[in-house]
Amino acid sequence: MIDVRHVTKTYGKKSTIFTALDDVNFSIPDGASVAIIGKSGSGKSTLMHTMSGLDRPQTGEVIIDGQDILQLKSKEVDRFRSRQMSFIFQSFFVEANESCYNNVGMVCEIADVPSAEHQDRIERALEAVELTDKKKSRARDLSGGQKQRLAIARAIVNDPKILFADEPTGNLDSATGEIIEDLLFRYNREKGVTLIIVTHDHDLAKRCDIMIQIRDGKIVSVDNKKPATKSSRKKAGKS
Amino acid sequence: MKARYIVRRAGRSLKQAKIRTLLTSLAIAVGAFTLTIALAAGEGSRQYAEKLISSNINSQALFVVRDESLVGGGGLPGGDGLKEYSETSTQFSGLSIKSLEPKDLDVIENDKDIEQVIPTYLVEAQYMTFEGIKKKYTSDVSVYDASVLAESAAGTLPPLGEQIKDDEVVIPEGFLKALKIDNPKDIVGKKVTLRLVRQVQPSEEEITKTIQEKGSAGLAELVGGEVRDESFVVRVVSKASVTSLSASNALFISENTARSLSDFLTRDTPRYRSYVAATAIVKDGVEPEVVKQRLTDKDLTVRTAEDLQGLLFTIVNLLQGIVAGFGVLALIASVFGIINTQYISVLERTQQIGLMKALGMHSRDVAKLFRYEAAWIGFLGGVIGSVIAWGTGTVLNPWITEQLDLGAGNHLLIFEPLPVIGLIIGLMIIAVIAGYFPARKAAKLDPIEALRTE
Repeated sequence: MIDVRHVTKTYGKKSTIFTALDDVNFSIPDGASVAIIGKSGSGKSTLMHTMSGLDRPQTGEVIIDGQDILQLKSKEVDRFRSRQMSFIFQSFFVEANESCYNNVGMVCEIADVPSAEHQDRIERALEAVELTDKKKSRARDLSGGQKQRLAIARAIVNDPKILFADEPTGNLDSATGEIIEDLLFRYNREKGVTLIIVTHDHDLAKRCDIMIQIRDGKIVSVDNKKPATKSSRKKAGKS
Repeated sequence: MKARYIVRRAGRSLKQAKIRTLLTSLAIAVGAFTLTIALAAGEGSRQYAEKLISSNINSQALFVVRDESLVGGGGLPGGDGLKEYSETSTQFSGLSIKSLEPKDLDVIENDKDIEQVIPTYLVEAQYMTFEGIKKKYTSDVSVYDASVLAESAAGTLPPLGEQIKDDEVVIPEGFLKALKIDNPKDIVGKKVTLRLVRQVQPSEEEITKTIQEKGSAGLAELVGGEVRDESFVVRVVSKASVTSLSASNALFISENTARSLSDFLTRDTPRYRSYVAATAIVKDGVEPEVVKQRLTDKDLTVRTAEDLQGLLFTIVNLLQGIVAGFGVLALIASVFGIINTQYISVLERTQQIGLMKALGMHSRDVAKLFRYEAAWIGFLGGVIGSVIAWGTGTVLNPWITEQLDLGAGNHLLIFEPLPVIGLIIGLMIIAVIAGYFPARKAAKLDPIEALRTE
């Protein structure tokens, strides 16, 4: 359960003040898929950063499993992020010169996963995204879709509870994008992980249980279609 | 994040920027090279100096004089010009020098930690002749130093600590040239004869008496002095060694012989049994410095072997310091190289840093990553520099030895692992310090800014 309460984030000082988030309130149940949709500059990225503890709003609370992460010390937030959360970015942000194995391994190292478990976890994650045969290839030699799959492997290796995806298909052609989407939704469904997608792509947003529209830092609408779309999601997963 | 992982990642990211890493390391390597050479040269010169001293001076020996001006402090002997007159003064090289009197020697000899006292006998032979050679020669005559092992070119030296026999002499290899002998073996076993002339200073009464009894011929005989020929057998021709100064230029006789000849030459003069200097051997296991203190309290001037080494080492240390100074300058330059490289690296890897922070890496670990990279650079530079220095030094050593005429078996550059390891560790620490600001910049980077899609 993620509870966002009265979150307000401003940039700049008095004369040049800019309100990125203006009293944002909503809650997300565990295991849901959520799309945060809005135009660029609407504050959707800031919202994601706030929900992951990367950014600190001036006021408000972000309560994850009963814990207001904005009250945690930075070290504790770091730990929380490394164990409970994960990120996928539009530009992949894989480490080009490292092997696929080491790209995924970095997260294990950061999260202080016992080293005996590393190999097993990394191999399972790579298998989940069908990159087992690329284990030793350098990330720079991968195609765009493969890079994003690698990013997904990296994101799921620690079995996070919340998966943030910032325009995950923005840099990919539609066919490849589809594969990535399927991968994300399947993972969301199979592992019960909360998937939060930041996007301006309405087709992608429609596949999510909850659609949160944001404009100029304000929530315009929260559209929860979870009960109605349960069966249709299953179909989408199979395709 | 475990330090082990950070070290490994730091190493990998350096490997990915091979050229830059190498170039930055090379800057440190220059410093490391110079410092390794400085260390090696210092060690080499120290060992050489030690060898030089130990093959000439017994480390347990004390050099004792009455006249402080002889051993420095007052500059050169007689440096002040005007000196107090003393009955027992010895005329030495035209200077008046206070001598050690028998009672002074007793003081030294009676010290509980002194094993042996050898006065510096002044034996002046008018000339010497060698068997089978007609010419007459002159040379210094000195006591054979049993506490230092010389090298033999021909004949057998007595074992260390044992004197030669009273009718034997040791001559240096250098004599052979003047004698026109090629093979040192040819002279071993041959006879050497010293002509000694005792100067007499007859009293007025003696002169009057002699003139009355023997006329002017008798007087000439009286003041002409007493003549004595002493013959010896050459036991050994000592090898001219670069490190052994004592082997260079004197005819060596045994201590007993030296005493009896000295007694003969100085009998009936104020110089009888008083000597310019004496060498006292301190018992094994006793610190010469302690005995020195005790004898100094009794108005004697004493120098230990260490004191004599001191000056030599001061020069060695100074030279080493100069070379090391250049090394330090090179290091200072390389520090800026590291700072620059690491700053660029932080800028280049902004996204990577942002990602790692977003994925939950602590700022402190990010700083560590960059500090360890700097340490790797320092390590690499240190290893490259010292290995090259070690290799070059080892290759050049024989040539340097030849050029500087150090004598076979002596090396100017002596590399020891421990100081080199210390140097490399030191360089790593310096590199880490240099990497401090770039590392801090990386740690302070805002992940949101870093991950903003361009």
